[in-house]
Amino acid sequence: MHKHFPVNCIVPPHMLEDIATNGTAAQKVLAINTLKASAQMVGKRRALSDFTGAALRVAVGGKERIIYDAKNGSSLPGTQVRKEGDPPSTDVAVNEAYDGSGATYDLFKEFYQRNSIDNNGMRLDSTVHYQKGYDNAFWDGEQMVYGDGDENLPINERLFNRFTIAIDVIGHELTHGVTQYEAKLTYSQQPGALNESMSDVFGSLVKQYTLGQTADQADWIIGAGLLTSNVNGVGIRSMKAPGTAYDDPVLGKDPQPAHMKDYVNTVSDNGGVHINSGIPNHAFYVAALEIGGNAWLKAGQIWYVTLRDKLTSSSKFQDCANLTYQTAGELFGTGSLEQQAVKNGWAAVGLGVEGGNGEPTEPGDGCFTSLLRAIGAAPAK
Amino acid sequence: MKVERIQFERTGGFAGIRFAADFKPEDLPDEQSKELFDLLDDLDFNELPEQMMDENTPDSFTYSITVKTKRKSHTVVTGDASAPEKMQELLQLLNRIARNQMRKQ
Repeated sequence: MHKHFPVNCIVPPHMLEDIATNGTAAQKVLAINTLKASAQMVGKRRALSDFTGAALRVAVGGKERIIYDAKNGSSLPGTQVRKEGDPPSTDVAVNEAYDGSGATYDLFKEFYQRNSIDNNGMRLDSTVHYQKGYDNAFWDGEQMVYGDGDENLPINERLFNRFTIAIDVIGHELTHGVTQYEAKLTYSQQPGALNESMSDVFGSLVKQYTLGQTADQADWIIGAGLLTSNVNGVGIRSMKAPGTAYDDPVLGKDPQPAHMKDYVNTVSDNGGVHINSGIPNHAFYVAALEIGGNAWLKAGQIWYVTLRDKLTSSSKFQDCANLTYQTAGELFGTGSLEQQAVKNGWAAVGLGVEGGNGEPTEPGDGCFTSLLRAIGAAPAK
Repeated sequence: MKVERIQFERTGGFAGIRFAADFKPEDLPDEQSKELFDLLDDLDFNELPEQMMDENTPDSFTYSITVKTKRKSHTVVTGDASAPEKMQELLQLLNRIARNQMRKQ
């Protein structure tokens, strides 16, 4: 029987959006289905992601996870195989996705008082076994998606293991969701590299939290265990020493810079978002190590509040430096050890901090050039 | 029209590692070149739009495929979430070819 809902017919889109954001659970689901259906008709599926998650995945109050199996196809989300509270599956990837998204939820909830990706109990959906030989994981604007690496190749040719194997990869993808709901950092150039860095920072913190490590005990490797033994490398990125994670005949050498003087200008990879993220990654590492103890407690708190309240879609590295410094002062006191550590973190990558939200400087454009410009001894921008 | 050259590049992804291939189909094993031509024909590759990009999908791959004949060169840029279902097989095949080329270098 075909049910007829008036909301499908006469409610204008802006009102549906309001319902999708503010309505009851049932209203949200109804409104969002209508919006999604009409958006698909005009090819705007992704444009709705700011509120679809909250509406479609409204949780009953706490952690709610669903794991799907794409069964090596590319249709999302796939077949549901485990939901919140279900016993472990016999499929290790399913359990890793379940446990990893749970640990990420717990870290954000317990230490940053954040209720899921949207801070409104959004359900955490993950799909495993995406495609065949898919050596990647991504956030599609609504859910996490994980491939199995290159499981379809002979063992001696495989480079990547399944992407759920590294819990920081899971934390990384979920944090893309948090960024989407907060700073909305544009996925290109410096804002994109900051977006990537935030995901690496909280991905690494999820791992450290799970292992109960202090900053000096952590390996600060992103994606440890992801590369097979055929690859000469310890992981995908190193926050401790960007540019040193791998050096391999097939994959090449880790291209990440650790300092502004080595900033990579490229059109590839959305302007090098996975390359230049090494710079803010290293700043976080230096600050966290100097603060000491569990990095998610203080350094993580400073970065989280900055992401939630201060960064905007167009923020650059210099903005992030200034704003994390400002936040550290607000949280721990002006001139505190924590604030000094943040300053030293950014100094280690070639960025001085300014008191307020100063004008961002271009890559490689240091304090000295800015000073010359201020007194008219260097050309204006 | 005979395909003379194919260029493929995969960038982005969680690892941000570039995979690329630049080859003449005639240099591929017969079976692989037949599979490639079948997939291109099936997709009606020259009629595909030049841009089919993902929006708001951090860490997804970006693929660029250029197919050159004597008279024409057509490039399609696409991403994981926006590539048509039928295109996935082509992307996987080009990926394998790229990987083999990189291994030989």
